[in-house]
Amino acid sequence: MAIFLTKKHLSRRTFLRGSGVALALPFLDAMVPAATALGQTAAAPKTRAGFFYLPHGAIMNNTVFGKEVDAWSSTGKGADFKLGKTLASLEPYKKYVTTFDNIENLAAGGSVHTLNPATWLSCVHPDTAAKGASMSITLDQVIAQHLGQKTALPSLEVCSETTIQVAACGGAGCYYASTTSYAGPNSPLPMEYNPRKVFIQLMGEGDTKAEREALLRKNASILDMITDRAKVLHNELGPGDQARLSDYLDTVREIERRVTMAGTRDLKGVNVPDAPVGELEDFDKQVRLMFDLIALSFQADLTRIASYVMVAEGTNRTYNFVGVPDSFHPVSHHSNDKERMRRLMVIERYHMERFADFLKKLAGTNEGDGSILDHSLFLFGSNMSNSNQHDNYPLPEILVGGANGAHVGGKNLVLPARTPLANLHLTILSKLGIKQEKFGNSTGLLTEL
Amino acid sequence: MRKSGTGFKYALMSAGACLSLACFALSADAADGQQAVNAGAKVFNDTVTNICEKCHNSTDWAGSLAMDTLDLRSPGQDPDVWEKAVTKLSGRLMPPAGEKQPSQADVDALVGYLETSLDASAKDRGIGHVPLQRLSRTEFAASMKGLLGVDVDPKQVLPTEIEVDGFSNIAGALSTSPTFMEQYLSAVRRVAQRAVGEPVPKMASVFSGGGGGGGGQAGPGSPTQLTHKDGYPLGTRGGVSFTHVFPADGEYRFNFLDGDSIDAGLYPRGMETAATLVILVDGKEVARREIGGPDDLALADRDGPKGRTAIVAKVSGIPVQVTAGSHTVTATFIERSWAQSNDPTGGGLVSGMPIIRDGIQVVGPYTPRGLSLSASRAKIFICEPKQEAEERPCAEKIARHLATQAFRRPVTDADLKWLMKFYESGRAEAGGFDSGVTELITAVLSSPDFLYRAISSPAPGESRPLDDLELASRLSFFLWNQGPDAELLALANKKQLSEPAVLDAQVARMLKDPRAQSLVSDFAFSWLNFGTLDQIDPLDRTFNAGMRANFETEARLFLSSVLLANRSVTDLLTADYTFVNDSLARQYGIPGVLGPQFRKVTLKDENRWGLLGKGALQLRTSYADRTSPVLRGEYVLDRLIGTPPSPPPPGVVTDLSVHEGQPPSTVRQRLEIHRTNPTCRACHGVMDPLGIAMENFDLTGRWRTVDSVSKLPIDPVATLSSGIVLRSPSDLRRYLTRRPDQFPTTVTKRLMMYALNRELEYYDMPQMRKIVRDAAASNYTFASLITGIVNSDAFRRQGPDVKSKKAPDARALKTASLDARDTGATPLRQEQ
Repeated sequence: MAIFLTKKHLSRRTFLRGSGVALALPFLDAMVPAATALGQTAAAPKTRAGFFYLPHGAIMNNTVFGKEVDAWSSTGKGADFKLGKTLASLEPYKKYVTTFDNIENLAAGGSVHTLNPATWLSCVHPDTAAKGASMSITLDQVIAQHLGQKTALPSLEVCSETTIQVAACGGAGCYYASTTSYAGPNSPLPMEYNPRKVFIQLMGEGDTKAEREALLRKNASILDMITDRAKVLHNELGPGDQARLSDYLDTVREIERRVTMAGTRDLKGVNVPDAPVGELEDFDKQVRLMFDLIALSFQADLTRIASYVMVAEGTNRTYNFVGVPDSFHPVSHHSNDKERMRRLMVIERYHMERFADFLKKLAGTNEGDGSILDHSLFLFGSNMSNSNQHDNYPLPEILVGGANGAHVGGKNLVLPARTPLANLHLTILSKLGIKQEKFGNSTGLLTEL
Repeated sequence: MRKSGTGFKYALMSAGACLSLACFALSADAADGQQAVNAGAKVFNDTVTNICEKCHNSTDWAGSLAMDTLDLRSPGQDPDVWEKAVTKLSGRLMPPAGEKQPSQADVDALVGYLETSLDASAKDRGIGHVPLQRLSRTEFAASMKGLLGVDVDPKQVLPTEIEVDGFSNIAGALSTSPTFMEQYLSAVRRVAQRAVGEPVPKMASVFSGGGGGGGGQAGPGSPTQLTHKDGYPLGTRGGVSFTHVFPADGEYRFNFLDGDSIDAGLYPRGMETAATLVILVDGKEVARREIGGPDDLALADRDGPKGRTAIVAKVSGIPVQVTAGSHTVTATFIERSWAQSNDPTGGGLVSGMPIIRDGIQVVGPYTPRGLSLSASRAKIFICEPKQEAEERPCAEKIARHLATQAFRRPVTDADLKWLMKFYESGRAEAGGFDSGVTELITAVLSSPDFLYRAISSPAPGESRPLDDLELASRLSFFLWNQGPDAELLALANKKQLSEPAVLDAQVARMLKDPRAQSLVSDFAFSWLNFGTLDQIDPLDRTFNAGMRANFETEARLFLSSVLLANRSVTDLLTADYTFVNDSLARQYGIPGVLGPQFRKVTLKDENRWGLLGKGALQLRTSYADRTSPVLRGEYVLDRLIGTPPSPPPPGVVTDLSVHEGQPPSTVRQRLEIHRTNPTCRACHGVMDPLGIAMENFDLTGRWRTVDSVSKLPIDPVATLSSGIVLRSPSDLRRYLTRRPDQFPTTVTKRLMMYALNRELEYYDMPQMRKIVRDAAASNYTFASLITGIVNSDAFRRQGPDVKSKKAPDARALKTASLDARDTGATPLRQEQ
């Protein structure tokens, strides 16, 4: 029912059609001025972090053809490295890129698909005997706790399509296949794939300033009421239910914080475009739009942390627009058939290219002493290696961005065999100025980085 | 005879179990019953000792289970282990395919014996606990319809819910995230606004009915535009239709956005022949415009973009007076003879007559004239204040009325106090009383009293019966997906609902109510995974969104005809009828069906009978480019037999495709590796044959005898690990129904999970089997299963709130990994 979501006000916003035809991409560019007032007052650097998840691994060196077909790994060590074919589109940003050999994630081990998304950023094997979700907080959410509190929206979790997929998510539950983000051991965060809802989440509701302020006031009193009511209900519940209700109250408090912050959101320098209508039927446009929305949220400082599942684990999505008529998940079972492997690589390259477009946008947006890319740290990768075997070693991961000078790319790191992915995560935290002894099953920092 | 003790129960089960065999316990006599138990005990002992313990012993500990450590004389002592064994045996997943197999008769006897022993010792084994539960987004949408008469598409307003076995109403999985809360609060505000209408309406332009993100019309621009569309006025051709909520009474204008949307674009072929466009609101014609013909064609050809704009202008800005509320808007053409078209060729797509290629924009209200009574307002405004002094008492009435239903309990004066504060703040706005009520509704729906429901916990280690109000809620969410109505609440308040006769009468009433359709749209569609057909986009040019919609409609009508018309649930597999329209009939090869409306037809081809012959099932279990016997076998095993297979072990090579230089082969030929590799065979030996039996159905449900890629004949002959040979979907159907209680058991398990809002545990199984046994007398009608569930302790009682993750019986942990689900790898749908 699209009507429910269509916006109001003819005067300021003319209609944007959902079929995708009329949607000239990248349409969101229009709303971001070259240098906003926000951008120039960069007294303290605003660090962004992003996590870009691709399911089903990559064609690496561990198929029966070995190095011959490896399209992911870099060749050469250190600074003299050459990017793999799948990463070719990153060539212009090579100085921001670090590639790795020999990363492993034991936390996903043996799950085939179901645990891959959630354990990518947790590196903790979930308690699958538990009723309900039971894992640990994920890397993006640890960062959001530290770096995300300066914006109304601490972090953004999006995907290109529903993450509830039969191949990864059937049976006992979708706790670990449906998201890469956990706010706490029992708090999986939903990944939004409706661009319209993402847009509203970013921009807030209301057409005029007066309308927005009235809405904030109303929401504040609703939230007060909810808190009062929850306290009353609390007394009538048993201990287990009380714990569940406190989780709810925590959520309400987080919304209260956001409502307060939203009052200070400054969109003066931003020309707010029309909201997208809903999920686009054209998957290519949908992927581009999601990247645009993340870029927008970074450019306008609406959030600083984003996690993006570029396509769902176990997806049946076909890629006809790049000449691959096969569904992604079945073709990822490539059977060491070179044609199937080629098609898989086309899909992998496609997503990398969209990521490169995104980098281009950020590299072209200046704020303070550099571009947003200089102030960002992004992890792009998968939690699977060879999709024909569902193994988890070596994992395809790359680190991109200047991290305010903390990360110098332009190198390939050959790590010791079976280096835990958690070590990379711990190092990312340290690069972002977050001190932590251990992350997941980490054994130490990647000092080489 | 059915009530004469455990011996008889077993005798009966065996009778059911071995219809085709020489049965040893058909006579209903106590001595025979005891004999049967003894025979069963012997089969059990022999099978476990000679077969199971080969791997499940205290040396190998296969699956962390050693049966030689268990007391085989009384299986009731280890219910957790043996319940899992029953499940594995029923689907014949154990012993693994490729290992020595007991005969089907032995398996049936074994299962019968185990079930009888487990049931006999089931007393006080425990009652499950359902924690505090948030409304799922599906329940939210149903509640909005029920409380306020507002249609909400849950997918468009709230985040994706985590599903457990396909169900999104499992209490433990319904967590709350900030994203959910943000979207929820905003959804609530919009619903309240739509329900009341806008006393001070804002001018708005809304586009609906478009191909993407629009009103879900599978049709603008498609061939369906060339003929009459089902549900449209007779004598019309093509068109779009959508529901629009008009915020206030007033004038609204209808626009086509550009030439393309009305077939007057860059290639204005549709302008060649004159046509008449009609616009209808709720089926009544409100405007009529001529379009096309020589003048318009000349305009488009001669003046280019300008001319096209002029044509669009003719059919845009059409002013119409509409009242506030939800109305159906339809734009369509008067049907004319094709003889008038100068282009009868071109597959009809280049028709020479204009067709509607996109949605319509509704702009307004111009000159709003207040709010007249809409369906939503009729539900809300149980009083209308004539003067200011009447406003507050009326608002209190409204608050009490609405909150009672929303909170599913009597409303106190204290409640009214905090609710009325919201009324007051809204009353102070420009919209006055109406705004006050809008704020009131927003508060009611935002509060946790509405969003959460709880069943009080008993003292640790005990269980307690649900009180009448808790029962009313549980029953109502089970059958209607929303809270109880006034009648249920009134009975609950009088503490009469729990009286058996009253409860039965209410169940019967509720099943007749249109709201019970949620048992099809939510329960059955989730169980059978028919709600996600749009995830598969077949690489088949003859397939379009219209056919997918046909599959869905057929499934909905068929499921309703069995479940809600109270036939035996077994009819889901065996019914010799279905519902088709012309295009679906062509897809299925059924002659003599004309017209787009769905009607009941008798199926002559028995391969089409029941669910196995439905396009929805064939599509759901295929990939975009081919069928998958594995997906189909897994589907049958999990959803129809109720035994989900284990996921493939890690590190297994899934090498099934055709390699370069190899001759083309059928999917089936490529599956042969599943039979030769013992690791694969353990599960695939069970799964694949079930799917292979359906290979004659292609991915879009057509019958085929030749594989379209390899051009080789389809070979649907498959041998189950038990030695039973299946040659067709009909054989598979007979296999699935050979034990009359097997399929009803599967349905009951899923239905119980849906009803209880939690996963079933071993201690639920004796109750579950009792429900099935009791339903046998009514031939397993859906209503008899529902009545059984509603009267079970699992439904009527709340168990202790176990905060820890342990199952009520700590012993369950010992053998936790017997079931694949406990190993962490949920059943994985392996490729092929």
